[in-house]
Amino acid sequence: MFFHIVLERNMQLHPRHFGRDLRDKLVTKLMKDVEGTCSGRHGFIVAITGIENVGKGLIRDGTGFVTFPVKYQCVVFRPFKGEILEAVVTMVNKMGFFAEAGPVQIFVSNHLIPDDMEFQTGDMPNYTTSDGSVKIQKESEVRLKIIGTRVDATEIFCIGTIKDDFLGVISDPGATS
Amino acid sequence: MGSHEALSVEPFKRLVKLAARAFYDDITTKGDKQPKTGRSDNRGIAVVVLDALTRRQWVREEDLAKDLKLHSKQLRRTLRFFEEEKLVTRDHRKETAKGAKIYSAAIAATGDGQPGGREGDEKLKMHTHSYCCLDYAQIYDVVRYRLHRMKKMLKDELESKNTVQEYICPNCSKRYTALDALRLISPHDEYFHCESCDGILVAEADKLAAQELGDGDDSARKRRQEKLKDMLQNMEEQLKPLIDQLGRVKDLTVPEFGSLQAWELQNAAGRAANGDHGNDPSKSSQGLGFGGTPMPYVGETKVEVALSGIDGKGENIKSENGNAPSKVLPPWMIRQGMELSDEQRGETKQEAKMAGSSIALESSDDKNTTDEKDDVKNIQDEYVKAYYAALLERQREQEAHDDSQQQMSNASTSNGVAMPTERQVGMKSKLADEYEGDDVEWDEEPPAGNTAKNFKVHDLNVEAEASDEEEDDIDWEEG
Repeated sequence: MFFHIVLERNMQLHPRHFGRDLRDKLVTKLMKDVEGTCSGRHGFIVAITGIENVGKGLIRDGTGFVTFPVKYQCVVFRPFKGEILEAVVTMVNKMGFFAEAGPVQIFVSNHLIPDDMEFQTGDMPNYTTSDGSVKIQKESEVRLKIIGTRVDATEIFCIGTIKDDFLGVISDPGATS
Repeated sequence: MGSHEALSVEPFKRLVKLAARAFYDDITTKGDKQPKTGRSDNRGIAVVVLDALTRRQWVREEDLAKDLKLHSKQLRRTLRFFEEEKLVTRDHRKETAKGAKIYSAAIAATGDGQPGGREGDEKLKMHTHSYCCLDYAQIYDVVRYRLHRMKKMLKDELESKNTVQEYICPNCSKRYTALDALRLISPHDEYFHCESCDGILVAEADKLAAQELGDGDDSARKRRQEKLKDMLQNMEEQLKPLIDQLGRVKDLTVPEFGSLQAWELQNAAGRAANGDHGNDPSKSSQGLGFGGTPMPYVGETKVEVALSGIDGKGENIKSENGNAPSKVLPPWMIRQGMELSDEQRGETKQEAKMAGSSIALESSDDKNTTDEKDDVKNIQDEYVKAYYAALLERQREQEAHDDSQQQMSNASTSNGVAMPTERQVGMKSKLADEYEGDDVEWDEEPPAGNTAKNFKVHDLNVEAEASDEEEDDIDWEEG
């Protein structure tokens, strides 16, 4: 699920950036530092949408670096248990398949793949129904439901299922065309 | 043990009995290798043992075995099983026959054992004895957790979609869940690999499905679903008494026996308070025996008392001592130091005896002291009274002392070394009854030889005021 929230961060800025465009430098550095990171609490920080305010800088003893407390608005993405996501399959193996929904990695074990789909080995391993009409392989798009998340301080990993109504492959060429 | 507590014990006992019948009915403690003949089939033992334990508190395992007419090995195996199941706490300790006596005393106090069962054997050999006791608080949690797990497993199976797949390493039997999947994939093949031994992980088959028809075909799955539903229903039905009992017990205070030592002390103390203590000849003689032993110690401290008396000569130091009445002797000190003044000893005698008997046998005094604080309390009150009386007296003495001091020190110069020590003892007992303990504490350092030296110096400077500095000098020399 996506959220638009305000976060705060202490930015350290090198003295060489002090000047007219100090603020720009600060924002650029903030974006570089923060976008794409993941915190267990808020999820993945997708994009910074604006700066709320920049606090008073504090000059560090000895280094000359200045610390600014910066409040910024950003879009975060955090997966939840029970959430339905669309994801791209990245790897298929005997144990199930891995998929990515943006920054989140999701694993679907073969127990959570419908029973009528069987694993086929080959140079393009895939799960196929007995009549061959549905195939899950690398680059397929699937709709899945998250049934478990593991949230570490800097990492979120999910497991999902496609063993439910309306879940499964959505990139079927016949269906999309 | 309060009466309300006794009320709450019964439901817990019932809980244990129900749980025993529900879960440990068919536990056999024999190894799998032995053939299960009719004779060696010991199912049901577990229930018997648990029932027996509900009727006891802490019990020596040998005694329990004797009561149950079981072989002690068999009982121990069962108890070890229960220990692993977290139903029972056990304690092992090395002890002599005397140590066993405390236990028997405690048992007698609870009134549910056979009192004085082993009065006879007075062997001084150390034996390791094991004791066991039901841990009601934990049992409550264990049973609840077990029920929760059972239900969860069945429900998960039933829904069969919200399960997090588990993987096991066949080599080191380490378990992983699907949530670890990202760390387990290997670039070379399509299996998961164990992190520690690199073995290929196998998916843990559906726990119940594997037992029955594991085939994926539809009708089998339907049947399995039916079966699971039945099972869940049966479980709810059959375990209802247990669950009800859990609900009943929920708000009651859990009967707590504490550790073995705490329990023994508590019960022994309770017994002493009931007046049992004096009547038991073996017990009291034991106490006196202990009271007698520290006599050399007392003698030793007398020397140190003399030293402190010398210190007392320095008026400054003494007044410091006098100013520290807030430093009330902690109870453990009163007990340990048998060199208390008469009035103090008279009051603490009983206490010392009782505590002494336990201290003599058990190495961990610290534990005892905390446990005995309660019995000490009233004694302490009396002690405080005596303390203030003594303090008052001392203040009166002090005034008299100031002029007598001069005379005395003069006498010491004439009499030499041996005499003053004697005198100091006398003076000390008059002057400073109450802070003897303190003196002993901070005067332990200077050796007896110092006495003479100290006096010599003192003889040179008779002024009381100067003695403070003298002390410093001496310390310097020693350090």
